[in-house]
Amino acid sequence: MARLTSLLSAATVAACLALPASAGAATAIDFFFPVPVDGKLAKEMQRLVKLFNEEHPEIQVTPAYTGNYDETKIKAQAAAAAGKPPAVVLMSANFVYELALQDQILPLDPMIEADGTSKDAFMEDFWPALHKNAEFNGHVWAVPYHNSTPLLYYNTDHFQEVGLDPDQPPVTWQDWVDAAKKLTVRDGDQVERYGLTMSGSYDMLGWTMSALTMSNGGLYYNPDWGGEVYYDTPSMLGALTLWDDLIHKHKVTPEGVVDNKGVSSSFLAGQTSMVILSTGSLSFIRENMEGHYKVAFVPKNVRNAVAIGGASLVMFKGATEEQQQAGWTFANWLTTPENLGSWSRFTGYFAPRQSSYALPEMQQFLDENPDAAVALDQLRFAQPWFATYNTVAVRKALEDEVQAVLSGTKKPKEALEAAQANADAIMKPFVDSTALALPN
Amino acid sequence: MALALPAPLRVNAASARPGRRWMVAWLLLAPSLVLLALFTYGPILRVLHESLYGSPLPGQAAPFLGLDNYARLLGDPAFRNAAWNTALYAFWTILPGMGLGLVLALALEATSRVSSVLRAVFFFPTLVPLVAAASIFVFLFLPGIGLLDRYLALIGIRGPNWLGDPDVALYAIIGLTVWKNAGYYMLFFLAGLQQVQQDLYDAATIDGAGVLARLRHVTLPALRPTMAFVFVIALVNVLVAVDHVFVLTKGGPSGTTDLILFFIYRQAHENHDLGFAAAATVVSVAVLLLISGLGIETLERGLRKEEGA
Repeated sequence: MARLTSLLSAATVAACLALPASAGAATAIDFFFPVPVDGKLAKEMQRLVKLFNEEHPEIQVTPAYTGNYDETKIKAQAAAAAGKPPAVVLMSANFVYELALQDQILPLDPMIEADGTSKDAFMEDFWPALHKNAEFNGHVWAVPYHNSTPLLYYNTDHFQEVGLDPDQPPVTWQDWVDAAKKLTVRDGDQVERYGLTMSGSYDMLGWTMSALTMSNGGLYYNPDWGGEVYYDTPSMLGALTLWDDLIHKHKVTPEGVVDNKGVSSSFLAGQTSMVILSTGSLSFIRENMEGHYKVAFVPKNVRNAVAIGGASLVMFKGATEEQQQAGWTFANWLTTPENLGSWSRFTGYFAPRQSSYALPEMQQFLDENPDAAVALDQLRFAQPWFATYNTVAVRKALEDEVQAVLSGTKKPKEALEAAQANADAIMKPFVDSTALALPN
Repeated sequence: MALALPAPLRVNAASARPGRRWMVAWLLLAPSLVLLALFTYGPILRVLHESLYGSPLPGQAAPFLGLDNYARLLGDPAFRNAAWNTALYAFWTILPGMGLGLVLALALEATSRVSSVLRAVFFFPTLVPLVAAASIFVFLFLPGIGLLDRYLALIGIRGPNWLGDPDVALYAIIGLTVWKNAGYYMLFFLAGLQQVQQDLYDAATIDGAGVLARLRHVTLPALRPTMAFVFVIALVNVLVAVDHVFVLTKGGPSGTTDLILFFIYRQAHENHDLGFAAAATVVSVAVLLLISGLGIETLERGLRKEEGA
């Protein structure tokens, strides 16, 4: 045991000596990134970081793959709490609001101004729909990195088979329901093929509900203040009733919760003719679909509107001055129009900078992949992404109730009333300390 | 025990001064004590301490709440839901899991080439990490396309939406757990069966006991300590194994697969309510200790009975 202890202490001393030595050579920073889609992306990200390190000998970025979006947030917060905040984190864009509220991330405008730019000029190049999730309360908090919207994917072989024009995707909810009815194939009471399937997985469910609600003229949440959500509203009641009718009245959508994998595999297997999936699934469907498919906007009842998704770069508080500067250099390098463009072509996400699309290689890519062009067109109608105090819990308050409707255990109206009450209870501490904190 | 000590050591220990003996003892214990204090007792105290505080609002310190978190916990419908789910999960994983393990052990007790291969086959799920097993079951459970539904379709049965129907999801997860654990419990029962004395069987046979009577009056009573032990292991598994919920359902649909540990995780990381999560941890570990204590009590009673016999 004595030998082991002395070995251990020797190792500790060695580790203490080694740390400052490596830090002296170059400014070392940590970069946390999630991989929401597949492992290919993690490799590409490692390659990019290596390239950056070679081009910038004075900075040493250590990339750390940190699981999915939720886990990345938890790990970054844990690292910050342990006194080793990651300088740069690729964070789900709707967590930025919460992190700023908790005073865990740096406002970026001082660094933008130190570069000789104004924050308006800095933000101008990013698509307008992305601004609300990156800039609020008078500061810029995040640099958008890759983004997505929900899209309607439809099987053109099935369209032809039932006499629908594959070049005329449903535009309104009426068209949509009509098409779904025609596309559904029955054998007696049994459904052999569903007209439409949408995901009931947590996260994707909230995102799909926001797309339907926004297409129905609604707002879903208060984009300017994180203490209000609009669950018990006519626009959301209409959206949820549509989904309930698709399942229980028209019987063209499977009952219960179908998760993301179930949605994409049933579409690939030709067991469902239309699905709502992220633009981030474009590459996956393109590579795995045997039949023919096209993509279209999410159909509208009142207006065309969907929420954006994706991730942005944020910088955690608590790093040294040099590390912050190094982190900013790295964030800027990752988000040049060229680098964003190549990441977009690699992943299927769209690039947040409009100038990326002026590049010749991007123009060529859009010409070769018309489905990517549709995704880009829908951006004009995009809205900011749900972000409140305790975003995930508030979102789940709705999702649990919507799942009950999809399973046929609740009616839309009572479900939305319960969702509103639960969400209000979760946000109460924040509401009490802000909007309801009144002068004596 | 003292008789087993080698003679010189005993002499040394007896002749050494008491103070010195204590010092040696503490020195020998120190490494484990330090590790235990840092990684076991420290965190336990910290959880107890944290359970008395509320969640901090931005820029403020966490407010002291006393026992409020505990009161809130008992009234919280989500916690009651998770506790009920966990009770159902415990009942339907422990009894069938142990039963299946016992049946497998009885069937494969005699050593032959076939039975040792089968033992390995049934033990195999234990070697697969739960998170990996769950990732495979994602594809088994896919409605309509999954392996399970494909086999059911062959005999003309249309499977339910395994993970998406609130009435079915918890049982799908229970099925996975039983499949995963039965082989592990089988191993304990196999070991337990080796301990049953052959003369008891011989005596019973002479008394005219058939196979079933021998099982009921000899095997099962002799296995009581093993059962109590496996019961405690199974109980701990109920509380600490949650990987499959993470991978398969995240507690849904509509919270029907929300188990206690997942509830605690959600409170800590989704609601940032560390105090509430800590209180839930304290309560669930207390309940676990209580039930395990009862299990071990039964185990010891079983042992005393056996020694008395």
